[in-house]
Amino acid sequence: MLFSSISFLYYFLPLTLAFYFVVPRAFKNTILLLASLLFYGWGEPKYLMLMGLSTLLGYGFGLLVEKYREKKAGKVFCVFSVGISLSFLVCFKYADFFIQNVNAITGLQLSFLRLTLPIGISFYTFQIISYTVDVYKGERAQKNLIHLATYIAMFPQLIAGPIVRYSDIAGQLTHREYSWHGIAWGIRRFVIGLAKKILLANQLGELCSIFRASQDSSVLFCWLYAIAFTLHIYFDFSGYSDMAIGLGSVLGFRFQENFNYPYISASITEFWRRWHISLGAFFRDYVYIPLGGNRKGRGRQLFHILVVWMLTGLWHGAAWNFILWGAFFAVLLTVEKLWLLRKLEKSRLLSRIYTLFFVMLSFVIFNGENLGQAFSDMAGLFGGGGIPLVSQEALYCLLSFKIVLLVGIIGATPAACNWVRKISKSPTGGKVLNLLEPVVLTVLMLVMTAYLVDGSFNPFLYFRF
Amino acid sequence: MNTKKKDITLCTIFLILFAGGFLLCLFSPKERYSDSERRMLSPMPKWSAQGLWSGRFMAEFESYAQDAFPYRDSFREIKALTALKVFSRQDNNGIYVSDEFLSALEYPMDEDSLGRAIERFRYVCEKYLTEENKVYLSVISDKNRFLAKGSGHPSMNYEEFEKQMAEKADFAEYISISDLLERDDYYKTDTHWRQERITDVAERLALAMGTTLSQDYEIHTLESDFYGVYYGQAALPLEPEKIQYVTGADIDCCIVYDWQNERKIPVYDMEKAVGRDPYEMFLSGSLSLLTIKNPNARTDRKLVLFRDSFGSSIAPLLISGYAQITLVDIRYIHPDHLEQFLDFDNCDVLFLYSTLVLNHSDTIK
Repeated sequence: MLFSSISFLYYFLPLTLAFYFVVPRAFKNTILLLASLLFYGWGEPKYLMLMGLSTLLGYGFGLLVEKYREKKAGKVFCVFSVGISLSFLVCFKYADFFIQNVNAITGLQLSFLRLTLPIGISFYTFQIISYTVDVYKGERAQKNLIHLATYIAMFPQLIAGPIVRYSDIAGQLTHREYSWHGIAWGIRRFVIGLAKKILLANQLGELCSIFRASQDSSVLFCWLYAIAFTLHIYFDFSGYSDMAIGLGSVLGFRFQENFNYPYISASITEFWRRWHISLGAFFRDYVYIPLGGNRKGRGRQLFHILVVWMLTGLWHGAAWNFILWGAFFAVLLTVEKLWLLRKLEKSRLLSRIYTLFFVMLSFVIFNGENLGQAFSDMAGLFGGGGIPLVSQEALYCLLSFKIVLLVGIIGATPAACNWVRKISKSPTGGKVLNLLEPVVLTVLMLVMTAYLVDGSFNPFLYFRF
Repeated sequence: MNTKKKDITLCTIFLILFAGGFLLCLFSPKERYSDSERRMLSPMPKWSAQGLWSGRFMAEFESYAQDAFPYRDSFREIKALTALKVFSRQDNNGIYVSDEFLSALEYPMDEDSLGRAIERFRYVCEKYLTEENKVYLSVISDKNRFLAKGSGHPSMNYEEFEKQMAEKADFAEYISISDLLERDDYYKTDTHWRQERITDVAERLALAMGTTLSQDYEIHTLESDFYGVYYGQAALPLEPEKIQYVTGADIDCCIVYDWQNERKIPVYDMEKAVGRDPYEMFLSGSLSLLTIKNPNARTDRKLVLFRDSFGSSIAPLLISGYAQITLVDIRYIHPDHLEQFLDFDNCDVLFLYSTLVLNHSDTIK
């Protein structure tokens, strides 16, 4: 089920919240779990069993890891649990990719498995891994299966993150507070996230689709596409994270922030501290540091960076362009670590331009259907392929999407947020904002409903990861 | 308002919004057909274990939830106005407004489609026609030709479109009518041209095919409002139009036979004029095969008109020049079946198609 759908907003959510707030505290997790299973099963009924099996294995191994934590068996169980979780992921997500490459290299004709990718498998697999590893590191295992299943399957962040680490949420699974402020904050966050998705990401996605379908390519069109996709993926994904964090707050949870205005970063290093924070933290804590991080010399550190970023790319999808995308960042981060980072400090403006340029290039690679298309799109940015500078369709798109692009560019910076914060500090401004906020959010909600009723809804990009 | 009051107000508003929305979704009356969009709305899907397991039920429910949403047309209007006025989008769902005229973006020209259309026409000619038959081709420009450039919307190169059609159709004499058409010859909210404004087009075609038409026309206006096909798609608050139609001595006494339903029909169907698509009043809309006989004909000439929906309104204007016109829509009947109904002996043949159909010729059988 999509957050940005009528069935979620006007059927699932009211019913779920009604039951959730009516039942006593002791049953809230049960309601949340049932609602989450319905939410997941709505889109993937066949894969409910896979998620159930993964959860049961995570639960069982968690108990075993805790019991044998001080012995060698604890480590074995932990490795075994991580291995099984990853094997599900590999089987469903990467098997055909591996077969394709083995066939290409060896000339064999191995049959493809052609399994449908279960939605959200990358996210819930990482949460199960996080749970088992955290228990191995000393966190108490969850004895209550419903609590653990609620953590893994919780619908706000089940299918597109943020990746909630067990250690961050263990206490909230049994004790959480509800307040008008928490619920109101959650509503605001949810509505803003939904607006990012419906009003900006979907329209920017439309521009990208027009580019992809067009036979009227030009340098201007390629740049429009690159800018639009860079904004699209940000508003799509950060919008989803906002909605997840907002819904979490309504339900009494506090989820970690996942984005912090990444496009104002002055280096790629900073960008990855602001973009998909929960994924970066996961790879840092569960891959980079266990590999040895920067403790084993510069050479090994650079190797660890390469491994982590290739895996990050691969996590996003089973295709070479994702691996190239990860490697692209590995190279940039390495260059920054070795000498560029200090130079970037000299000019904030130039360093931001540098960062945005390479981030945008990276997303052109990321969004290619294959490597050939990614390179062709990239070449188009610089006039490759003999395309003209401008085309009729590009000019039309520029005209038609100018406000969306402008709002997107401003919205990707903290300017509006800073402005609101500044006004709210004055007594009169604060009162006016308090008065305006419910009105603005209500109008936004009605407008977004109108967009959904008119049928312009797209699946979230990060569902496929 | 202090922060606590604001928080409570916000929670209350959204409680009302979601709970109210939920109750309205459940209990508001459901329409089966959308007049504005001219389509059946998705019904509530039926439960079944297989439907649930395959996910079909859920997919159908999503469509139902959208289609059955209360005050759907009002919400669609809000969306259209937001897109066009707030975001300054130049079109909404591919429909744009230019001087109160609505049009769909029709871009780019699909050369393969043009080629396919020509091949289908050639097939008809080779299968049924001899050298005795005179064959003509004419292309009706859609109204983008007259709207798009002025409003900055992308459009096809219509000169090139016509040139390619004329060159590829080496089996037909091309009759250009584009210089006779202008924006006001089309309905503001519909794709089609206005019958009362295309008498000159009919005369051009007739002259080119070697016949003359009676100038005895009288124009009538329907009382009912007309909202064209783009009106529903655009979902904008626009004024309705009036359909006008032309009568005359020859038109009034014509006998029209609908081969598809094996019945006689009027030239102007007044029941359809107040139906879902009033433009279907012209020769009862989309029918595959019709014959119009003119008992008052001053000639024994016959015409077979291969046409799309634009042909329905121009055929009555041509009838005074012929004893019989047969209208064939090969989007609805395969050319192979024509020999059961048609005799092409001593017939002129005119392929009269709009750019809208030619540019999407996969609909032609």
